[in-house]
Amino acid sequence: MSTCVPSRLARIEAAQNADGGWGYFPGKESWLEPTVYALLALREEARAAFEKGWRLVGSWEAGAGGWRACGRVAEPHWATSLVVTLYGAMGIHDAALERGTRWLLASRGAETRAVARLAQWLSPRTVEFDATLSGWPWQTGTSSWVEPTAHALMALGRVKGCVGTVGIEERIGMGKRMLLDRRCHDGGWNYGNRRVLGADLPSQPETTALALMALDGDASIRWGEALDHVERLGRESASPLARAWLGACLLQYRGVRPAWGTAEPPDRGDILVDAVESISWNRLMAAA
Amino acid sequence: MEQTHGGCVTRRKMLQAGIAAAAVGAIGCKRQGAPPGVRGKAPVAILRAASYQEDLLDRLRRGAEACGLDARGKRVLLKPNLVECERGGVIHTQAEVLAAAVALFERLGAAEVRVGEGPGHRRDAWFLAEEAGYRTAIPGFDARFTDLNRDDVERVGPFAGEREIYLARTALAADLVVSVARMKTHHWAGVTLSMKNLFGVVPGALYGWPKNYLHQVGIARSAAGLYRLFPRSFAIVDGIVGMEGNGPVQGRPRGCGVVVMGPDLAAVDATACRVMGINPDKIEYLQLAGVGERQIEQRGETIASVRTPFALTPQFQHVRLA
Repeated sequence: MSTCVPSRLARIEAAQNADGGWGYFPGKESWLEPTVYALLALREEARAAFEKGWRLVGSWEAGAGGWRACGRVAEPHWATSLVVTLYGAMGIHDAALERGTRWLLASRGAETRAVARLAQWLSPRTVEFDATLSGWPWQTGTSSWVEPTAHALMALGRVKGCVGTVGIEERIGMGKRMLLDRRCHDGGWNYGNRRVLGADLPSQPETTALALMALDGDASIRWGEALDHVERLGRESASPLARAWLGACLLQYRGVRPAWGTAEPPDRGDILVDAVESISWNRLMAAA
Repeated sequence: MEQTHGGCVTRRKMLQAGIAAAAVGAIGCKRQGAPPGVRGKAPVAILRAASYQEDLLDRLRRGAEACGLDARGKRVLLKPNLVECERGGVIHTQAEVLAAAVALFERLGAAEVRVGEGPGHRRDAWFLAEEAGYRTAIPGFDARFTDLNRDDVERVGPFAGEREIYLARTALAADLVVSVARMKTHHWAGVTLSMKNLFGVVPGALYGWPKNYLHQVGIARSAAGLYRLFPRSFAIVDGIVGMEGNGPVQGRPRGCGVVVMGPDLAAVDATACRVMGINPDKIEYLQLAGVGERQIEQRGETIASVRTPFALTPQFQHVRLA
């Protein structure tokens, strides 16, 4: 039996830490990623909880722009994309957003560096991809992967009309081409690559959903087939997190979350699952 | 046209050879040696187990005895390999082996036996544990399990020539970290056994899925670096059915019929390599761990009696034992 959105929102609110943030699971220390997802879910429902969490996010701005992963880590984190999306959803434009957007635009995958491109030229079948197309890495100095690229694209698409940073359209275009280049043979996305050492990689549910959400409106996608693939992945996967993202993707494009028709797995109190299941992705993405 | 193509390949091969030579040189310079907790001869036990239906607790108990394992009063963290999971497949540590390990440490009087993993590819660790059959096989699994990718973290260091790394607090808080790995070949590292399995204590929440930072630092340096950060550890390598060929995910099952265990992860991995027909001196992460200088005391079955050559990808043919 699916948990309804009001119950999930109540659970998220109850799991808020004293510092205003959320851990990945109740009782864990606060991290940026679950905190921002919780805020996206609660922004229209629980103002006091939201304000407290928003203050914590503000205190985590890194010196060079962007936001830190958590209180223990000083460097800016890929989840800066989520904060930019949150800013966009709230319609707030300030200097922190400008700095964060600039940090995001400057962030790119290590695979486009000269040494990495040389390695790829020497051994093109090791990992097959177009090394001229840079997406976004999980961490500064590492290679591009599907999930952080999808989040960066959604974030930049959300704020491109209201921040004064140049080059956003070009960067979004390259990021989308990177995602399309990494699309797997079966029509979805693995977490990073489509073919390694001559073997096709299978698509994964979470990354397939996120890539399609980020490629909103791309003319090269056969959307009917792609969304059918999303539904198939949802029926085949019993992962609550996978189903949450696949449902978010279908909500964005078809306006409804599907009923998967098979038993829900045990509840782990995963804040991301509750938040992703509660966010109105169709309204959030349509407003971009 | 053909000549141009041929010339291009030649240049590639020359450059590849140059890069390989530079890499070998780097290995020689950066050998890190055994972690502080490892002294003298390292005992490694090899136990036969033809299938997962055998009495695995008995095998592990005999192996623990042979290695002089003392877990009394210790907080133990069992770290299986759940990089990905395919029902009925051989990517992950078999549930029966992990369940036997839980029972073993409880019988040995551990104060606490937890299970933790931070999968390298998929985000939903609980789902993978469910798919792997851990919830069914292990009593009280829900109360024992921690998703190490999304755990609280602590900064430790130095790590692999870098200043620091953040690791899952649950792993750092354990008195004994037990790497319960499956015996597999690996398309980047040659093999993945108990040392490489420690990648799962590095939090994905910070380093991502996959933990590409560890690849940027170097798989071998990272495995050797983590080995040094966990001197209080123990290894159980599930080689009852391993994976050969294009591991760690897309390889084929390879029945080997053994469990290899011991208190020094590098010594256990070196022994497992020899069982797999692989020369441990040619596995970079084992070189960095100083395994060539380690005296291993073999207990239980002899390597020769259980040797089962694993198929290797073309890139790793050179590591095969002569």
